[in-house]
Amino acid sequence: MELLLFGAFNGLIVGFFYALMALGLSLILGLNNVINFAHGGFMALGGYLAFTLVPFVGFWGALVLAPFGAAALGLIAERGLIRPLYGRDPLYSLLLTFGLALILEDMTRTIWGPQGLPFSIPDFLDHPLSNVYFFLTGYRLLVVIVAAVATLGLFAVLRFTRLGVCIRAGNADLETVASLGVNIYFLRAANFALGILLAGLAGILAGGQLGLTPTMGSSLIMPSFVAIIVGGAGSLIGSLLGGLIIGVAAGVVTMYAPAASEVVIYLIMALVLLIRPRGLLGQEGLFE
Amino acid sequence: MNIITRKIGRRSVLGGAAAVAAGSLVYPARGTFAASESPVKFGMVDPQTGTYAALGASEITGAKLALDEINKAGGVMGRPVELLVEDSAADPGLAVTKARKLVGSDKVNFLMGSVSSAVSLSLSQAAEELKTLYLDTGGHTDQVTGTECRWTTFRTCSTTWMLTAGNFKTLFDKFGKDWYFLTPDYAYGHSLQKDYATQLAKAGGKVLGNALSPLGTTDFSSYLIKIRAAKPNVLVNLTAGNDLVNSMKQAVQFGMDKDMTIAGALIELEDLAALPKEARLGWWVMEWYWDQPNQPHVADFVATYKTMSGGKVPSGRSWFGYASTHALALAANKAKALDTLSVVKALEGLVLPPEVALQPNEPFYRAADHQMIANEFPGYVLSNGAYPNLFHVADIVPGKTIALSPEAAGCKMTFPT
Repeated sequence: MELLLFGAFNGLIVGFFYALMALGLSLILGLNNVINFAHGGFMALGGYLAFTLVPFVGFWGALVLAPFGAAALGLIAERGLIRPLYGRDPLYSLLLTFGLALILEDMTRTIWGPQGLPFSIPDFLDHPLSNVYFFLTGYRLLVVIVAAVATLGLFAVLRFTRLGVCIRAGNADLETVASLGVNIYFLRAANFALGILLAGLAGILAGGQLGLTPTMGSSLIMPSFVAIIVGGAGSLIGSLLGGLIIGVAAGVVTMYAPAASEVVIYLIMALVLLIRPRGLLGQEGLFE
Repeated sequence: MNIITRKIGRRSVLGGAAAVAAGSLVYPARGTFAASESPVKFGMVDPQTGTYAALGASEITGAKLALDEINKAGGVMGRPVELLVEDSAADPGLAVTKARKLVGSDKVNFLMGSVSSAVSLSLSQAAEELKTLYLDTGGHTDQVTGTECRWTTFRTCSTTWMLTAGNFKTLFDKFGKDWYFLTPDYAYGHSLQKDYATQLAKAGGKVLGNALSPLGTTDFSSYLIKIRAAKPNVLVNLTAGNDLVNSMKQAVQFGMDKDMTIAGALIELEDLAALPKEARLGWWVMEWYWDQPNQPHVADFVATYKTMSGGKVPSGRSWFGYASTHALALAANKAKALDTLSVVKALEGLVLPPEVALQPNEPFYRAADHQMIANEFPGYVLSNGAYPNLFHVADIVPGKTIALSPEAAGCKMTFPT
């Protein structure tokens, strides 16, 4: 019984991390209508940029600055590669971002080498916070806090700032927003950059508990997709919920049947798609 | 007179570009080319992308260094040697396709590679069908020279049995008899775990549990929770590559190194270099180490390798690539022929000369199962070490004393009539 509770608690912590990854993806899917397969590649890029910045600005400086670096690269990708595909079949953007993911992986391998890089986290975060709940380390608590703050911050931006209101309006009806005089090119670019900012942030946090290698993006992208499908595309609270659900499910199942730990999140996704295709909190009609 | 000026239009430029692009697809594998019409070709299938890319890169650099030396010394029977490298991406199906291409269209004389045990098993089978000699550089699972041994297959790296026997006694005597295994769920992991468990049972120890993690697991927290609940003396971490880095980082963050000893079988210098300082600990086995002050030729090898690799010291993987390439050349020169059967017979029993062996005790390829019998270098990770001084070799264990006999390994080799 104790093992089950530990597994669930641990899964909740992991779920917050999946939720952070899924947030950016959901944002991009909502307004840009782009299924961003390159999200994992930008995550890895964020982690690598942070590794490069740490000797100059320390861990915390890198945590703040590197996501902006990733967002800048995201802006370039959006302007050059994704903008020409707006309005077309979503399949085009899926193929493009898939190719972009491969390019980003090879780019990180060429620039930083295939050798994994030793990314260190600050010493005081590197310990368990309690002897009983030894899996709750200072670092994982940081991940939970950052994920919670990012969700709340995003919610605040969308609710209270002009940009956020435009994004929400654009989610509902982009044509009308355009005809009302809003610069939708700038809007979509800003939205994409915001999503990649979150991806970069997730990548840095991932680098602290995983090895920093060129392939880390591809191993993290699938749970993010499952999280937004389960939680509902187009809903940010849905992404959070989706991430938590698959985190807990994977955490508990790993305790008893590790071989099924990867399959269980896809089983949940299949179940959700069968019963409620829009996702648990998703907007109706986004992909129906 | 009408001078018809022919303009190079956009269409022809695009067509030309497309033709060049298409042409690059049929260009033979990237390789080092010597200026001759009939070079001897070695085909190497190793991961250059994917999770084992760093290990493959070391093997390839070691092979290239050997290639330079072989060609400077006159090549094979006076002909220069060419190395053609193909990316396996640690995918058995892809690796076999590349191997067939190397043999069928590039006409290589011998095959070598890989890093993943699964790929080595597939290549071993394919090479026998293609009647080509295959030298397994780095796939460790016992079966390659055990129950699935073939007359065309040789192996340079250790068997999983030799890895486990390399430090079993040390771990058992020093740290305790209750062990919990963290095993990657594929051939290599199962092999290592079975071999340790066999020795543990014989010595009177206990296997408290075996956590099987899928290859590519990023989050080990659930496994670590289970392991901690079982309270073992030793956590035997059998994962490799990225999985090893991930699990070690997380185990140390959970403070598990304070409750139990973390140890394992194989660790590679590339994995150690990817670990942050706080996660560099544990007792492991290496198959070759660069810092052998009493061994002649090693320092020269390290210096030459550093110029080729941009400052990195050679790892065990580098030595696999280096020794394998030299072994093929030596065997071909000894046989004075390039057909598979003659070179196989020449490679059987071949003792590596000291400047290739780079370790004591005269490593050689055992005739009965084609397995190299070299040494194991068990030791512990230096927690305050800085690259490249990351590992302390506690002992050099001769392979002769720990390897299973070919009969015990289950090898029944049949030659074609």
